[in-house]
Amino acid sequence: MRGFARLPLLLGAALVAVAGSVRTAAAQQAPVVECARCHANRDFLVNKAASAQQDSALYVPAAVLQGTVHQTLRCTDCHRGFENGFPHRVGAVVVPCQTCHQQEGTDWTASIHAANAATKGDAPTCVGCHGAHTVYGVKDVRSPVYPLNVAAMCGRCHGDARILGTYFATPEKLQARIATTQFPKSVHGVALTRDGLTVSATCSNCHRAHRVLPADSAGSSVNIANIPATCGACHAGIVTTYDSSAHGPVYPAQHRTTTEGQRRPVCIDCHSAHAIVRADQPQWLLGVVKECGSCHARLYETYFDTYHGKVTRLGFDLAAKCSDCHTAHNMRPSTDPQSSVYALNLVKTCGRCHAGATWNFVKYYAHGDPRDRTKYPVLFWPWLFMTILLVSVMAFFLLHTALWLMRIALDRGRGSGHGGGGPAEPRSTP
Amino acid sequence: MTQRALNAADRGAGPYLWRFSPINRALHAAMIVSFFGLVITGLPLKFAYAPWARVLVRLVGGLQVAGYLHRFCAIITFGYFGGHLVSLAYRTITSPNRKGLFWGPDSMVPQLKDLQDIVQQFKWFFGKAPRPRFERYSYMEKFDYWAVFWGVAIIGGSGLLLWFPEFFAKFLPGWAFNVATIIHSDEALLATAFIFTIHFFNVHLRPEKFPIDNVIFTGRATTEYMKEEHPLEYERADREGRLAARVAPPVSRSATLWSMWLGFTALAVGIVLIILVVWALLH
Repeated sequence: MRGFARLPLLLGAALVAVAGSVRTAAAQQAPVVECARCHANRDFLVNKAASAQQDSALYVPAAVLQGTVHQTLRCTDCHRGFENGFPHRVGAVVVPCQTCHQQEGTDWTASIHAANAATKGDAPTCVGCHGAHTVYGVKDVRSPVYPLNVAAMCGRCHGDARILGTYFATPEKLQARIATTQFPKSVHGVALTRDGLTVSATCSNCHRAHRVLPADSAGSSVNIANIPATCGACHAGIVTTYDSSAHGPVYPAQHRTTTEGQRRPVCIDCHSAHAIVRADQPQWLLGVVKECGSCHARLYETYFDTYHGKVTRLGFDLAAKCSDCHTAHNMRPSTDPQSSVYALNLVKTCGRCHAGATWNFVKYYAHGDPRDRTKYPVLFWPWLFMTILLVSVMAFFLLHTALWLMRIALDRGRGSGHGGGGPAEPRSTP
Repeated sequence: MTQRALNAADRGAGPYLWRFSPINRALHAAMIVSFFGLVITGLPLKFAYAPWARVLVRLVGGLQVAGYLHRFCAIITFGYFGGHLVSLAYRTITSPNRKGLFWGPDSMVPQLKDLQDIVQQFKWFFGKAPRPRFERYSYMEKFDYWAVFWGVAIIGGSGLLLWFPEFFAKFLPGWAFNVATIIHSDEALLATAFIFTIHFFNVHLRPEKFPIDNVIFTGRATTEYMKEEHPLEYERADREGRLAARVAPPVSRSATLWSMWLGFTALAVGIVLIILVVWALLH
């Protein structure tokens, strides 16, 4: 029974296949000879359009389509309404790419590009990115949408001062303004341009190729809510870890320490959006401390009171930074038994740098605050003693010196010579 | 009117008298060199937030190099500290006047007279008494000595803890390193601040000594200097007929140059460093 039910479906599929091959055959049988009579003749096209530039746009010899994905199509497959021979109508040419590229058309129609293309004519339609006649496949190095070419292609508009000034001038659009200058230097940009890694992320991987939407739009792939999924499309294991960490969305509430009004960080909060650097570079290791500190202000301060923090602050990647103890993506509060800084896990965590770390050793306060008498009494009293010693010794002797200078000044003023004239001071002014 | 000498120890009439033994001068020179090494490589860590900290670290060749230099200077410090204890022990055994090392006018040990001198000095500041007349060591010099003694023990001890934390954690809790950091850093700041202001003023910059007193480098000073700076010691030596034995030849030209170079370099670097400290504290 089920086999018979499928029969119409199979027939339908066969018909489509036959129709396709027929169309291809027809295209091969009827080349673009008719159109070429005029459009392959440069001299004929002179002054046929509004400007010299538009004249040359009309010049489309058959060779231009050779090797493109559309080489087997007839001119009239795209240029509808020109089938009835010469002289044909002039004016706006509607090229309905959607007829074949339906999903891409739907996506583009929903994008910010579509909105601006319709109202202001500033944003790209299909040909803006893919080209008109020279449309190559995404894996063809000649294509502007080939992974290694995408950034330059997008940069034609997104690096343009007029476009940036018109659409991206407000403060919250900062990322868009710096994208084209920062991205080529980022780990993704370098992977593309230097290493030729076509799998590395380029503009369209994060922002989508057709459904490009601004970050403040809920449906955008780069909206805060969608960032982990977008990055996770490539960085799969990391997103799983992140999701279950204290920063992740499914972390149990009883362990959460989030302050009111603070948003959970997503990938780009620590890694940035366009200036992402390799996580093993000193530049990153030193910079990320500041990122952690932008939310964890108190821990940031106390960290810099320790040897670890001071070394880091001096710009040297020799001592522990946030992620060395708290891990990069699986950070959890010390109350969580799965945390790298949970009491029972500290010997292992500290031991990663301090070979031979013991139970005793890990009683070190990595964020100790000597001014906090209730939490760190063992630090408070030595600190108080040392502070009093320092202040009192210096105060006593600075007073001693100041009074001495005063005596000298008084004696000089009186003209009695320096020294006060006591019996120990028989010498006159030098 | 006496001729003003650049080196305060050259003032007035001779002959020169010995004041510091070669071993003590050598120990003091080792102390200067290592102390400056320690301060230059330690301050950037203490004031890591100061704008000059990175510059200073890079000047000595990076943080790792700074760390090695700091430990190297620490070894010199332990060396002169040990050297001094050995020399003390040696003198205790061999000196006919061993009691005088630990008590009396020639001793570094504070005496009742030191307390009286402090009181009298303050009275003199206010014009209520003549200037105190000092023995072999004034109360200021004794304070310097004991400050170094205490400082080396405290800073050196806490520094060793921080140098070998894994080892010391075998018998100390981890927070001992927090405490060691506090003590090491604050005591070192006290030493730096004291040496580069109070010590410099007392021994070099006050008008009688300005701009420099090289007695600690060359070991000798003029009779006039001794009469003015340490009158009681001079009179005692005179009374007991020990002056002739202490007469020293004048300082050679090369020793003068060396002591001037070392003294003025130390003064200049020290003053720059104390300016950096004040800058960082106000930051």
